[in-house]
Parts: sequence; C-alpha cells; structure tokens
Amino acid sequence: MSALAAPARPTAVATGTRVAAVGLLTGWGEGPDALPADAMRAAAGRDVITLAPPALRSERFRRATRECLLGVAAVEALLRAAALGRDDVRGSETALVYVTTAAYGASNVAFVEATAGGTLHFPYTAPSAVPAEVAIEFGLTGPYLILLGGPAAAIDALWQATRLLEGRGCERVLVLAVETFAECEGLWLRGRRLVRGPLVEAAACALLVPGGFAATYTAPAEPAPLETLARRRAGETLACGPLVALALSGQMRARGPLALSGRWRGRRAGLAWTAA
Amino acid sequence: MARPRVEPVAILAAGAVTPLGPDVDAFWSGLVTGADGISRIERFPVDDLRVGRGGEIKKLRAARRDAPRRGCRATQLLLAAAEDLLARVAPGVAPVRLGVVLGTALGGVEELERALGPDGRLRHAAGGLYDAPAHALARRLDARGPVLTVSTACASGATALGVGADLLRAGAVDAVVAGGYDTLCRFVMRGFDALRSLTRDRIRPFDRRRSGLLLGEGAALVLMTRERDARSPRLGRLLGHASTSDGTHVAAPDPHGRGLELALRAALAESGVAPADVDFVSTHGTGTQLNDRVETEVLKRVLGRRAGEVPVNSIKSGLGHTMGAAAALEAIMCLLASREGVVPATLGLEERDPACDLDCVAGAPRPVRPGVSVSTSLGFGGCNAALVLEGVSS
Repeated sequence: MSALAAPARPTAVATGTRVAAVGLLTGWGEGPDALPADAMRAAAGRDVITLAPPALRSERFRRATRECLLGVAAVEALLRAAALGRDDVRGSETALVYVTTAAYGASNVAFVEATAGGTLHFPYTAPSAVPAEVAIEFGLTGPYLILLGGPAAAIDALWQATRLLEGRGCERVLVLAVETFAECEGLWLRGRRLVRGPLVEAAACALLVPGGFAATYTAPAEPAPLETLARRRAGETLACGPLVALALSGQMRARGPLALSGRWRGRRAGLAWTAA
Repeated sequence: MARPRVEPVAILAAGAVTPLGPDVDAFWSGLVTGADGISRIERFPVDDLRVGRGGEIKKLRAARRDAPRRGCRATQLLLAAAEDLLARVAPGVAPVRLGVVLGTALGGVEELERALGPDGRLRHAAGGLYDAPAHALARRLDARGPVLTVSTACASGATALGVGADLLRAGAVDAVVAGGYDTLCRFVMRGFDALRSLTRDRIRPFDRRRSGLLLGEGAALVLMTRERDARSPRLGRLLGHASTSDGTHVAAPDPHGRGLELALRAALAESGVAPADVDFVSTHGTGTQLNDRVETEVLKRVLGRRAGEVPVNSIKSGLGHTMGAAAALEAIMCLLASREGVVPATLGLEERDPACDLDCVAGAPRPVRPGVSVSTSLGFGGCNAALVLEGVSS
C-alpha cells in the first residue's frame, strides 16, 4: 500500500478516492505480516487472542480505557505506515469516522459492576469516548461520524469516508475501528450465534484521500475474496475485518479494482473501488 | 474547503413516542400547550440517586398483534414510534430499497445490565449490543436495505438524519426511516447523577438560574425520500447537515464552541442557505451553564447582528433530555412549527440570563411561521451536529 508523500491538499476538484495507508494492530502483532496463515490453527483452542494496551505515558490518559488507548495506538500505527507526522492530520480538514461492534462493552460492564472509576468513568461508557480521545490526541476537528455494528458497519464507514471526500467535506478521512473482547469474554462466548472464533482483538485505521478510484456501495450476496482471506488469516475481528482486508490488499500490492465486503446480522455490505 | 450544495431530501411524515404522549400529535399539542412530561421515575429504583425525576413514558400503546412481543424497552419505543409513522405514511418502496438509520447514545444497554444479572440470558447479551434495536425495527418494517446505527452521543439523532439523507443522495436506497431513540434506565441515571449533571430544580434553558438537565426517553422517526421521488403529503425538507468533532474533552463541550460553529457553518453551506435566511433555531438547550452559554456565543458568531432577532427555543424542559431521540424530535418540532405557524415556548425560562441574550421564545408559543430552521446538537465525546430544515405551511 503506497504511503502519502505529503499531506494531501488537492488543487482541483477531487475525482474519486483511494486508500493511502492502513495501520493495523491485532492480537497477532502489528501489520499484516504478523497475521498467521490460519488464525483458527494458530489460536490452538484459545477463544480470545488479546491485544495488549500500548504504554502511553501522558497524564491525559490516566482515566482512558484500554479501547481508547488502542484507538490512539492504531492512528500512531497508521502515521508510521504512511510516513506522516501528527501535524499532517491535525485540524478541521481531517475527518474521523469510527466504527466498532462493542468496544464500549468493557467500559459498560465495569460501570454496571461498579468495578471501575466511579463518577468519572461514566463518560467512557459511551461509544464516542474512543474517537474523542483520538480526536483530542491528534487535534482532529473535522467531520465526525460514529457507526456501530459488525463488519457491515465498517463497510458503511468506509463508504461514508468516500462520500465525505467526494462532497469536499474534508481533505482526508481516518476510518478507525477498535474491537476488544477480553473483558466481556463470557458474554461473547454466550453469543456464539453472532460470532465464530477465535475472537481476535484488533485496532486499525485507514487513511482515505482523494484519488483516482470511484467507490461503489453494494450489497453482494457472496463474500469478496478479501473478506474470506481476512477472516481466515486474522480470525474474528468484527468491525476491524474490512480494514484487515485493506491491509492485506496492500501487502499483496493489489492493483486495479479492490472489492471489500462484510457481513453482520444477516446483511452483507460491499464497497468496490474501480478506476474512475 | 468549499462544500458544494447538495440535493434536498424530502421528509414525508414523522412518528414519535415521548413523555408528552404516544404519538406526534400528542408531542406537538404538549409542546404548544406547555405540558410538562417530567415526573418521578417509577420503572426502576431511584431512591439511592440524588435526582429521581425524568421524562419517563408511563404507558406504551399495545403493539400491533403481529408485532414482536419480546424485545427490550428501546425496541418497544422504536416499534411504538414506527406504528405512529406507518399510520401516516407507507414506505412505498421495495424492501431491499428501504434503509434504516437510527441514532442512539445508549442502544439496548439496559439489556446488558440484565445479561450480567443472575437471570441473564443469551438474548439479553445480544440485545446489549447498541445496534440491536435498529435491526429489530428493520425487521418490523421489513427493511432489507442498509441498517445503520449512529452513536454520536446526544447528537446521534441529527447525525442519523444526515446519514439517511446521504444514503438517498447516493442512490443506495429509495426511502429511509431515520431518527433516534433512547430509554431511561438505571445505567444512565446513575451516570448522570454521579456527574452531578441533573438538576433538583426544573430544566431552565437560557435562564439565569439554570442548574442542569433532566433526562427523558423517547423515539422519533421520519420517512425520507429523494426530493424528486417525493409524494404528497410531505412534512418538509432536510436541506443539509454536518457533524464535527471538538477534539477538546471527553465529557464537556469546547468552551468556545468552535466545533459547533464549524458544524453549523458547514450545514448552512451544504444547504446553500445564508445565515441571513435562517428564520428559527431549535437549540440543544440542555439548561446546563456551559451548554447554553456556548450555544449563545456560537449563534451570535454565525448569525451576526441578526442573532438577537431570530427566534430560538429549547424543548427539553418538558421532555427531559431524550439523548439519541432529542435531535430527531427537535427536527420534527421545527417542521411542525412551519406547518402550524407557531413556535413552542421554552418552559422554565423565566429570568433571562444576560449572557444568553438571544430571542428565546418563552412564556407562550409565538405565532410565527419559520421557513428555514436550524437545529443544533452536542454530545459526549465532543460531538456536534447541525441540521438545516425547511418546512411547508399547512
């Protein structure tokens, strides 16, 4: 996947979009190279493959939850992958689109069981806490959207990113996904009809910029090959799945049309980029 | 970056259930008569909380015989609002071309509390996922197009209407049921009570004595289509929307309101509406010290010298802050104000705060018929949203 050479400030009306880079952290490690060939086999019977929180030392993070820290770490991973600095994304020309299935679950359980934080923990039960911490950390003040759901919602998020760029609402979009399972492992294991193991914690961020590809939002009946590949290599990463697929497509240096898909609660959403 | 004007989207009809009553008619009549939907909460224990009042819906209409009988309270509220909507208009499109976009701050979190309890069941765990109620509504509507759940905290309802409009403009669907919902439950009451955000007084938006908010519950839905596909009758049009991030604090708005200002200016630009053309503003108006001052300052910056002439109101005093439902209810109120030629008053506003020197409608409804209305929303996580709406006269 090509990295941006410089902050994108288009001089002409954008025609199409492209994925410039992906930062990927999973329970298997950083980047697509860390993914095993077969997640089920690599899990060796483990139900959850956890992702350790990064050691962010800022005083500002003293109350931040693990999922918040993972969101920040995913953006850091993206900046490394894209060879960008924080100043390249700061400001109102960067949109943030966040998607998760249930990364808020850990904070909610802690609040219900009164095991964390007390008064000041309550704001962290909101799904908006993760993108809030990311927006504060990186100074992102542009368009903002938070979608909840599984892999299909991540496709919706990527599609919304293309809409924002094509509508000139911003110059670049960060699509961020975070999924954690460890704190709610018991609940997830009871919900086996929704998910198949192994559950692999992940945090991923894709950078979309104006580019030469037209994005088409679809409802495919069958999974795109990249959906199947991402599922096989990473395991169940829920809303991070389509971003894992993007990272894998970059690893394969895919050229030409790029098709993603994701399924959740019986609905499969798809997004295809073709030459504009 | 200059935003191009976008195609307006038609809003054909609305459905709602609120503390003021079981449908949109009761909602509107309650607003114009100054009804107070705030009461002692009865559905769950509140004796251990500092504040045990809110906009609780005491009785829900019985669901249709063929409607799902189970489901969490969030789903029940949504189904009640859907019954109201469907009594006014049918989607009139193939199921695969009908989308659902809902905003919520809490989803079905009450189910999570149940799932963690001694009698927790699998369906409670699945229902605790915040997107579960949207899918339950989609099943009721037989909507087989995209089903999206937006969770930009208390701005969710506004963002949901905006995303629904995006789906229509992109041709992804031919009709969208969009809106928002949230329920009163111990989870959220405990949280806001602990934050000392709830007032022991009444909600007094823009009042010198304002001391906080009270929560409420409700669901509000609209049916939207592309303007060119719109059938009569219609309630109005969504001209544009924008959502932005403050990037300043997890739980408090930017004290300078820069994110809200950016959202408001972007929504106006997308709508092709100049600040001089705004006839009415439905504010977020929570009745907290910071929110009302921030909104005042933003409106003065955006509307300029007209800020003191444009009527504004807040309807949260009579409903409580219905969180994910709030912005959708406020959008419906804007359109009904245009249709009926009257702007509801801000209950509880008796002593105007000099720091909130807007033309706040108070005391009695005002007989004006706004053409273009703006609705502003803010939420936890630095979420801001603005809608630009145009009503039609009756």
